[in-house]
Amino acid sequence: MEKLDDLIDFKTGRQKRLIYSDAGIYEQEMEKIFGRSWLFLAHECQLEKPGDFIRTFMGEDEVLVVRQKDNSVKAFLNTCTHRGNRLCKADHGNSKTFVCNYHGWSFSYDGELTGVPLEEAAYQNKLDKSKFGMVEVAQIASYKGLIFATFDEQAPSLEESLGEMKWYMDVWLDAMPEGTELIGTAMKVELPVNWKLAIENVSGDGYHLGWAHAGAMTVTAESGLAGLSVGNSDVDNASAVSVAGMNGNTLLAALDGKSGYAFYNEYQKAWDYLDENRATVVERLGKFRGEKMWGSQLNMTIFPNLQFLPGLNWFRVYHPKGPGKFEMWTWAMVDKEMSEELKQIILNNVSRTFGPAGMFDNDDGDNLQAATEQSRGWRSRQMDLYTNMAIGGEHSREEMPGVVSEGLICEQNQRYVYRRWLEMMKADSWADIPFYNSLEEAQATEGQ
Amino acid sequence: MNLIPAKNDIYLDLQRRLFQEARILSAELYDEWLADILSDDIYYRMDMPQRRFREDKSGQRAPAKTPIFNDDLASLKVRIGRYDTGFVWAENPMNASRHIISNVEVFEMDEKSQFKVYSIVELHRSRLNADRKRFTVGREDIWVKSEKGYQLLERLMTLDDSVVLDSNMNFFL
Ligand code: FES
Ligand SMILES: [Fe+2]
Repeated sequence: MEKLDDLIDFKTGRQKRLIYSDAGIYEQEMEKIFGRSWLFLAHECQLEKPGDFIRTFMGEDEVLVVRQKDNSVKAFLNTCTHRGNRLCKADHGNSKTFVCNYHGWSFSYDGELTGVPLEEAAYQNKLDKSKFGMVEVAQIASYKGLIFATFDEQAPSLEESLGEMKWYMDVWLDAMPEGTELIGTAMKVELPVNWKLAIENVSGDGYHLGWAHAGAMTVTAESGLAGLSVGNSDVDNASAVSVAGMNGNTLLAALDGKSGYAFYNEYQKAWDYLDENRATVVERLGKFRGEKMWGSQLNMTIFPNLQFLPGLNWFRVYHPKGPGKFEMWTWAMVDKEMSEELKQIILNNVSRTFGPAGMFDNDDGDNLQAATEQSRGWRSRQMDLYTNMAIGGEHSREEMPGVVSEGLICEQNQRYVYRRWLEMMKADSWADIPFYNSLEEAQATEGQ
Repeated sequence: MNLIPAKNDIYLDLQRRLFQEARILSAELYDEWLADILSDDIYYRMDMPQRRFREDKSGQRAPAKTPIFNDDLASLKVRIGRYDTGFVWAENPMNASRHIISNVEVFEMDEKSQFKVYSIVELHRSRLNADRKRFTVGREDIWVKSEKGYQLLERLMTLDDSVVLDSNMNFFL
C-alpha cells in the first residue's frame, strides 16, 4: 500500500483518488478512524423509558443502544456471545430482554446473560454466565442531547474531541431552554458512494449548490440563499464563513440570522418563530450567535460521520458499508419549544428537500456515486484531486473560534477534514493525534 | 369495513385508467398527469417504513410517521417544475422506466362517485451502465368520477424497503 503521507497533502489540498476505492485503506479507516472516534449513537429523546432501544452502527459494527433502569444509557454490540447471531432485528422499540433466535440465550437489557436453555443438561451448570454478557462499548457520553460512544478506552473525552465546535453546536442544541428533539423516524438510503465524499460535500462544498441543485433552487422559495445564485453565476461571499481547524469538525455559516429557512414554502412561520424567540436566544448565547447565527443556514460536521443543518433542520449520520457504499440516516430535528404546527412544517420540509425523494438530495447521489466509481479505474485511481479553492485565506476572528475563511464557496473545510483523516490514519494511538482549536494551534500542530 | 366490489364495467374503466396513468408516468408526461389524471384535491403520500417487533405496543411513544412524499397539487407542481427547469442533471439522459401495475381491486364507497382502488406498482429503472433499480409499492387509492373521467383524489403508498436502494427517487408511482 502507498505511504499514507502520499495520499493527502494539506498544504495544497491534494488527495490521491484511490482513497475512495481502495479496500485496504477502507479496512484501515475502520480500525484507525471508526474504531477510535466518538461516533453518534442516538438522541436522548429516542430513549425515553428504561428498555427503550435503538439499533444502529458504529462503523460496520452493529450496536444496540439501550436506556437503563437508572436512566443511564448503555451500548452493546448487537451480537450473541454464544455463536455470534444478531441479537435484535427491530430498528427500535422497548424490551427488557433480548433473546437470541439461534439457541435461545437471553440477555437482560443491562447486558447480562440471564438465561441459557438446557443449562443443566447441556452445560452441566458449568457455564460461567457472568463471562458471556453482551459486549459493551469502551466509553459512552452525551453532549446536550446527543449520545456518542467510542470503542477506544484511550480516547480523550467527548467534550475534548468536539473542542470549540461545541460553541457552534450550541447554536442549535442550546439555543432554547428545552433543547432539541428528533421527530419522526430515520429516513434511510443506501448509496454506492465512498463515505468521505458525502462528508466533504456537506462540510464545505457551497460551490456545488448553485449548479448541482440548480433545478431545486429554481423552484423553491427564496433561492437567493446566503448570496448563492442559481447556475453559479454570481456570489456574495462576504455574508458567510467557512470555519474549520477544530479537531476535524467544521462549520459553514451564513451570518444573516434567517437564511436557514430559505427553502421552505412556509418560511414565514419559521421566521415568526425566530422573531418571537430571538431575545431569549441572544440572552442565552450572546449577540453574535443569537443575532447572526441562530436561524442562519449552518452546516455542521462532527468528524467522522455526523452532519446536521439547523434551519434546514436535518440531522444525518452515515454508516460505511465498504469502500464504495454507505447508508445514510436522516431525521428532522427541531426545538422542543416549537409549536406542533411548525414541527410538522419542518418534518415535511426536511422530507421534501433532503429525504429519500428530497428535491435537493436527489441531485447529489449520482454525482457522488460517479466520483466513487471514477476512482476505481486503474489509471484514474492514480490521479490526484484538489480542494485548493481559497488557499491562504485562513484567518482568525475575534468573535468566533476556529480557523475562518470567507464565504460558503471555499474549500478550506474539506482540507481540514482530510487533514484530520490523515492524522488519525497515521497515529498508533490517541497520544499521537494532535488537538487544535485555533489558527495558532492548527499551525503549530501541522504535519505532526 | 364491508367492501363491496365495484361492477365489472367500472372495474374495467378504472383498470384502464391505472394502465394509462402508468404509461404517462413511465414516459414522464407530467403535464398530462397533472391535467388529466390528478384531481385538484389530490393527496399523495408515502411513509418511511419502520421495522418493529410484531408485539411492539409502543403506541404513542413510537416515532411519528415520516413522509417520503406528502404532497398536494401545489407541491407536486413544484416537484414537476424542478424537472421542467432542465437542470436535473441526474435525469439527462433520461432513465428508462417501466411502471408495472398489478393486483388491481376496485370497491364501492359510501360516496357514490368515489371508488377505493388497491394495486401494486413495480417500478423498474434502467440507469447508467448496467445499473437497474426496482421498487415495489402497495397503493391504496381513491378515484373519483368526474366530467374528465376518473381522477385520482388520494393515493397512500406503502414502500417495502426499510432502506431506500436508489440514489434518488426522481419519479412518481
Ligand atoms: S448464537 Fe445465540 S444462542 Fe446460540
Ligand atoms: Fe448537495
